[in-house]
Amino acid sequence: MKVAPVFEQGSHRWWMIYDQDERRVIDSNVYIMESNGQAIILDPGGFEIFPYVFTAMVEVVPIAAVKAAFVSHQDPDIASSLPLWNACNDQIQWHVPSLWEGFIRHYGALEAVLCGIPDDGGELFIGDRKLEFIPAHYLHASANFHVYDAEAKVFFSGDVGAAILQPGHDAWVNRRMGGDEAKSFDDHIQKARYFHQRWMPSNEAKRDWINRVSKLDIQYLCPQHGAIYSGTNVQRFLDWFDGLNVGTAISR
Amino acid sequence: MNIQDLMELVDDSHLVLRTLEKSLREIDRRALNAMVLVKRHGSALAGYGVVAQAFRERATFLTKSGLLLHECIAPLIQAHMHIMQNRRYLVIFQTMIEELDRKGKTSPALENTRMNLAGRIAIEEGCALVILKKVIHAAGRMQESIAEQEYIVTNGRIEAALSIDSGAPLVSVSREMGQAVSTVAQSIRSYSKQLERILHESGARF
Repeated sequence: MKVAPVFEQGSHRWWMIYDQDERRVIDSNVYIMESNGQAIILDPGGFEIFPYVFTAMVEVVPIAAVKAAFVSHQDPDIASSLPLWNACNDQIQWHVPSLWEGFIRHYGALEAVLCGIPDDGGELFIGDRKLEFIPAHYLHASANFHVYDAEAKVFFSGDVGAAILQPGHDAWVNRRMGGDEAKSFDDHIQKARYFHQRWMPSNEAKRDWINRVSKLDIQYLCPQHGAIYSGTNVQRFLDWFDGLNVGTAISR
Repeated sequence: MNIQDLMELVDDSHLVLRTLEKSLREIDRRALNAMVLVKRHGSALAGYGVVAQAFRERATFLTKSGLLLHECIAPLIQAHMHIMQNRRYLVIFQTMIEELDRKGKTSPALENTRMNLAGRIAIEEGCALVILKKVIHAAGRMQESIAEQEYIVTNGRIEAALSIDSGAPLVSVSREMGQAVSTVAQSIRSYSKQLERILHESGARF
């Protein structure tokens, strides 16, 4: 897998690990945030891609620096690697939705330190920098969170913004199509449409999320699959998502 | 290799790569500074010019050796993570077999799967050993390059002493060159020792 820097200001950094080699499982992005020598890994990925994610991560952050992990929801592509990470560093505190704690334990590592995030969300400090856990319930999991770093203007959006891309894809939406942002977005969003229509179950949850997230100052919207929306493409995505009918399997 | 040794190796690999990145950039900068200094003083520093040129050339070679080492480390870590992943499965299968055994039952299919997995792990361990030897070889090449660079630094110090009347700050330039090379040398030396220890302790297997 490759590592791309997302944000860097002194000791405050974000990276994205993307474009996995193993194609039999869904292509997933993993994010790392580091501040003053402490790091958090966001949606650390599935059991099968663990060797690749780990190898890519230690290129930028030593394993001992990882103090916390964030799990947006219970899916295997998000957290089935938990027992392997725990074997490498049993000091990692796992921030998971409270509702899913008992389910996530099924991945193994019963001794791992799990900290439940209540439905209302919460916050966490990594190297003195605040991260907010933003509720994103029913998008798509019934208990689901995103992460906002107000200083870096980075918003980790889990499955929202996800797209199924071909191997070798770019880390950024706006760097496709020769740098034309609008064209890049139009091209990219076709690969995101079905994912949102089918995996997102609730138009009501979607509207509630858009109302709350639109008030945040976001420069980088970072999904767990696909590529990062930056600059004007963030608003383009929110507008597109607002107009999209989701939960389409019900009407079939 | 146990998990503590593995994590120590991972952390030290991270550290050695960061040190190399920083120090090699520093060495290249020092080499460039020396070249500029020589040009500025014309033929008066011709002797030091030869040293500075050689230092720059070796710096390029050292950077290439560093890249080679870098390229070997990631596959080594990845190979060990695969082994760890498969060992996890092996423990699960082993527990299932023991549970069945306690109940007086057997499962040939499960035993077969366990055997296949154990075989796969043995193959992966063999591959990891080959990669480890490659990393040790790359680190050895790097140490040879550093020894060459240290020799050039020594010559630089002699030339600097001989050219002291020129007024050019060659002594301090040579000292800075020496410091930059020494940082890389120490880092690679301790990393090589660790790799050799792992190779020695693991014997033919991890």
